[in-house]
Amino acid sequence: MNTPQKVPVTILTGFLGSGKTTLLNRILSEEHGKRIAVIENEYGEVGIDQALVIDAEEEIFEMSNGCICCTVRGDLIRVLSNLMKRRDKFDYVLVETTGLADPGPVAQTFFMDEDISSEYALDGIVTLVDAFHIDQQLGRSDESTEQIAFADVVVLNKTDLASGEGLDEIETRIREMNRMTKIVRAENADVPVDTVLNLSAFNLDQALERRPTFLEPEYPFEWTGVYLVEPGNYKIQFDEGPDPSMSLVITTDQGSDDSDLRDNAEKCVRYYAEDGKSILPDETIPMNTHVELNLASGGSKSFDIIIDKPMQIGLYAQHTAEEFNIQLIKSGKDAVVSAVVERTWVAQHEHDDEVGSIAIEKDGDVDQEKLNKWLSKVLGEKGIDIFRMKGFLSISGDSRRFVFQGVHMLFDAKPDRSWDDMPRRNQLVFIGRNLDEDEMRKGFEECLV
Amino acid sequence: MNAQSLGSLRTGWSVTLDDCALSGGWTSEGNEFAVVDAAGGVSVFDGKRGDLIWAKKNVHDGGALATSVHPSKSKFATTGQDGRLIIWNLLEPDTEKVIDIGKGWAENVSWSPDGNLIATSLSKTVYVYSASGEEVWRTSDHQSTVSTIAWTNKGELATACYGQVQFLDGVSGNLIQKLEWKGSLVSIALSSDSDIVACGSQDNSVHFWRRSSGKDSKMSGYPFKPSALSFNKKGTLLATGGSEAATVWNFEGDGPEGTSPLELDYHADAITSLLFSNHSNRLVSGCRNGTVVLWEISPNNTPTKLGVGQVADTVAELYWRPDDRAVAALDRQGGVTVWRI
Repeated sequence: MNTPQKVPVTILTGFLGSGKTTLLNRILSEEHGKRIAVIENEYGEVGIDQALVIDAEEEIFEMSNGCICCTVRGDLIRVLSNLMKRRDKFDYVLVETTGLADPGPVAQTFFMDEDISSEYALDGIVTLVDAFHIDQQLGRSDESTEQIAFADVVVLNKTDLASGEGLDEIETRIREMNRMTKIVRAENADVPVDTVLNLSAFNLDQALERRPTFLEPEYPFEWTGVYLVEPGNYKIQFDEGPDPSMSLVITTDQGSDDSDLRDNAEKCVRYYAEDGKSILPDETIPMNTHVELNLASGGSKSFDIIIDKPMQIGLYAQHTAEEFNIQLIKSGKDAVVSAVVERTWVAQHEHDDEVGSIAIEKDGDVDQEKLNKWLSKVLGEKGIDIFRMKGFLSISGDSRRFVFQGVHMLFDAKPDRSWDDMPRRNQLVFIGRNLDEDEMRKGFEECLV
Repeated sequence: MNAQSLGSLRTGWSVTLDDCALSGGWTSEGNEFAVVDAAGGVSVFDGKRGDLIWAKKNVHDGGALATSVHPSKSKFATTGQDGRLIIWNLLEPDTEKVIDIGKGWAENVSWSPDGNLIATSLSKTVYVYSASGEEVWRTSDHQSTVSTIAWTNKGELATACYGQVQFLDGVSGNLIQKLEWKGSLVSIALSSDSDIVACGSQDNSVHFWRRSSGKDSKMSGYPFKPSALSFNKKGTLLATGGSEAATVWNFEGDGPEGTSPLELDYHADAITSLLFSNHSNRLVSGCRNGTVVLWEISPNNTPTKLGVGQVADTVAELYWRPDDRAVAALDRQGGVTVWRI
């Protein structure tokens, strides 16, 4: 008897009206040739085709031992147990939860119930967020906060109903809560299917193959402005601001969609990795190069830009335009060019959400015994408040990298590939409620050899 | 030790259905065997030779879920994901009664021991009908979806769900006894005198109560969910799955509390089904990898392995023929395999 591959399962969470059914229908209507089963807890008014849809009423099973990590979803166990009895297995299962669902028991079902975990593999948790209403929801309900904290992907939906600045703020707030999540913006849940399915978010060696970090980037720039320019000379003008210098990269052929902004943001991270070329006022700024503008002199000052063809350029600046009243001016005409699009990037570090992320990154090796002791203490004391954790570890005396992930107190670690000539280091990310970052950091550092 | 006695079980007949064989049953004389599959098909086979008597496809939209053969008459009932209970004439593909219970999965169906009543459950409610299909009573909502139902030999209906087992009067539906425990109960086994009720639990334990005293106990430490449970005829031995070994607890004397169970070792993966024979201490156990083993437990509690069988995939259910001269196994690939004992 061969061992069939486990059926991947994606959990789709989000408040009523955030666009779950729309996304579901998008996924189902794509020509992927997959047999998808959908388990719904919320009766959608929209019909769903091409899939087996099973309505199930949410049933949370707590166990007599009172352990939160033993809490599972009985409805899923029942439905999934039945689905796996079919000879023609489904290729994929989507679980759509209600807006009020706690993602913990849903995720735990795939680890706690052996009947389920032997046949299904949790692929990822996708949370839809209504960009227009999220601000109110985050303040008001634990569920929406937890759905973000658990998410591998947050789809920031209905962006057409919110302002660009508002979106940036929301994104920053989400990022603060969950530094592992990938955020994608959408107007009508129109995200590419491969951004929400087949994420292998709980299969860490695979995830690390794709990207060697669990952390979504924090960018070294705070603001981007995109401008339409013609051949000729321009100036960037700065008023007096709070800093004596500022890093900047000007990108050429810059698109104005959010995905274009992100693509070039990744490129700029690489430019920023090199030392900035020092530029004095009235000197010319080279394109696609990390420059350090000298703003030490008083009053307003400007730097030259030479444009050789009609295009859009992107200013990826260390500080926001507001702080220095940054203006792009067409030389000769003294005409101020308005930005086609602007966005901010960096976390504001002044959030007051209880839920947040802690990322610990350290070079070197850890002592296995000390680490085990520390982790079991952390999980024992804080397991209820830790929603997700992921990371990799360099264990002293072992040639292999260890990867781990967990949900509440459920902790799963295993050896992965050999370190070979990669630098040995550790990365631990915890997402939880009221976590004491200094204490966690100190606790981990004491495990280092 | 006789080498032959440790050999293969003797195959009587086997057939393969279109989809996973979910649930079945022998008729009272063992002349026929009825089975439903995951695609919603119903088939009736000749019990001796395995010839198909009749079959119908797609009788339950979305798939069938359960079946129960009448204890004496030539009829059986099926339920499915379409929320229907269908009473069939055994020998002809005719329905005697089709009952639309409601929207949802009708996951359980069971004839009472005297054959006068038939019970089924859909979501949180249990329904009882007369043999001709008229509703006799229904319960108010249980606190969660009813996971399983079973009749006691005294004609009470036992129902299990998350947090409780209830015993209801079969004729009136009145509550006789409620036994509570904070855990999800997924299966029931009743001793022949109806005094002991054992339940497999979601948290890899078996919970049981002695109804006369109300005392309960828990056997834990199973590596898998012990969904498969079976009492022997006398009600002295309880066999449980939940691991690679069939674990047999002895209720004689002060046991099983504080005693060590018998561990019947052979299977290489989790046991998915097991069943004591109707008249003796023979036990048949089936495994996730498709092996089936016949055991005999002697009066001094010593197990002997009598034979081994193999089916194509995970064993879904096992059924002793009423005379114990044959055992049927249903498997995930749709196989129905009958061994002569």
